[in-house]
Amino acid sequence: MIMTWWRRILIVLIGAWIPVTIIYAWWTLSAESANPYFPPLSLILERFTELWFSQEFVVTVFPSLRNFILGYALACLIGIVLGTLIGGSRTGIKYAEPIIDFVRSIPAVATVPIFIVIFGLDIAMRVASITVAATMPILIATIQGVRSADVVQVETARVFHLSKSQQLWRVRLPGALPLIFSGLQLGLQIAFIVTIASEFLGSGFGIGSFTLIATESFLILDAWTGVILMGLLGYLINVVFDIVERFTLRWYYGQKKIV
Amino acid sequence: MLGPVPPAVVSVVAALALWQLATSVGPLANLSIPSVTETAGALVTELTSAQFYIRLWETIQMAVAGFVIAMGLAIPLGVLIGLSRFAWRSTKFTFDFFKVIPPIVIIPIVILVLGPTMQMGIFLIVFTLVFAMSIQTGLGVRDADAVLLETMRCYGMSTWKQIRYARLPSAGPYIAVGVRLSASAALVVSIVAGLIGGAPGLGKSILLSQASGDDPRTFATVFVLGVIGIAVSRVVIWTQRKAIFWMPT
Repeated sequence: MIMTWWRRILIVLIGAWIPVTIIYAWWTLSAESANPYFPPLSLILERFTELWFSQEFVVTVFPSLRNFILGYALACLIGIVLGTLIGGSRTGIKYAEPIIDFVRSIPAVATVPIFIVIFGLDIAMRVASITVAATMPILIATIQGVRSADVVQVETARVFHLSKSQQLWRVRLPGALPLIFSGLQLGLQIAFIVTIASEFLGSGFGIGSFTLIATESFLILDAWTGVILMGLLGYLINVVFDIVERFTLRWYYGQKKIV
Repeated sequence: MLGPVPPAVVSVVAALALWQLATSVGPLANLSIPSVTETAGALVTELTSAQFYIRLWETIQMAVAGFVIAMGLAIPLGVLIGLSRFAWRSTKFTFDFFKVIPPIVIIPIVILVLGPTMQMGIFLIVFTLVFAMSIQTGLGVRDADAVLLETMRCYGMSTWKQIRYARLPSAGPYIAVGVRLSASAALVVSIVAGLIGGAPGLGKSILLSQASGDDPRTFATVFVLGVIGIAVSRVVIWTQRKAIFWMPT
């Protein structure tokens, strides 16, 4: 069905009335607020622009983003390579499964203290905890994806004498991509959570540390701006991921539509 | 004669041996990283103390309370937004937004308002679960067979009967999956609330042992969390198999 332009606008409007109402209610209800924990929204926004549209953004947020990107990139690399290797061999799975099962069962945030013991409050601690936590879902999804490759496609590839590496690159990995992407998305969310957690627990620098220190020193406005910024960042990385996924898996969605 | 050693045993023993070697004679020996034997010692002390079981009980209480409240809110809400196209489209953006925001980011404000209490932990759990579960339930309700609904309408069945016999059965499997994921998530958030927000429970145990530099105890507690995590996911899967035996998992 082709959507007319006014239909699209209508759908956006319907989706918008609740957020608009919430923000309007927040604005008016907090305007005269004497409750120290809920300052007027106007003051929060004023402080928000003052803080995050300045040098402070670079100083506070960049270190967090750097750790996040570094840890996540490593997790993607390790998860996919290791997952392909383990998923490709039957014995590999048998030996690796109990270890993977155990590590994934530990709440990601609870592994941060372990890395603090090993690395101290270094950057290495932050990147290592992000990497290990985010690797688990990617690793598991890749193993499942490589193993559940379409039998007909694999058999066909074999009949046409494709070499082992051709089978891997042309058949198994592309077939596993949709599953791998679901692992990548979960890994992304975990990487973000652990980035913040590593700053809450081993304070020092970064947006998480900034917000926690603001809370402890009763700088309520700063705490609110920190929370709002972290929330927006958490939302934005998901939006970016969706766009990348849609672009990379165009062929897959196309295939599904045909079927 | 004993049969061949199962691979699971081999890899667990190998992992423990590697850890022990690395921390006693290997590259990590000079650092203050607890070895297997030290961690095992701390584990025994931990498991024989009453304190541990009190903390475990607090964690479970918080997780169960948050889980029950969240399901009680989200399943009816999900059915409602699933029934009306207007309600579904109205809530879509808002619910999606709050669904992807990690609960950890709101902890500073929640601590300010509620303090390091059990209520704080329960609030965090409800916040984490309620949006995803509502969406999940709504998707199930909307997935009801169109032909079946059309047929019911032709026979003049009441809206309530349509909900009872078409909408809810279609939502069942969706709700089951949501409940399973929510149960595990409730436990995780219950621990995180203690670890970062200072709410009672095992999370707080780690926070305290880390602050006092009792590294073997930190390791032992995290180890216990892994075991609990495995146990919970097994129990949830098992319960579900018994409860909805007709659905393949």
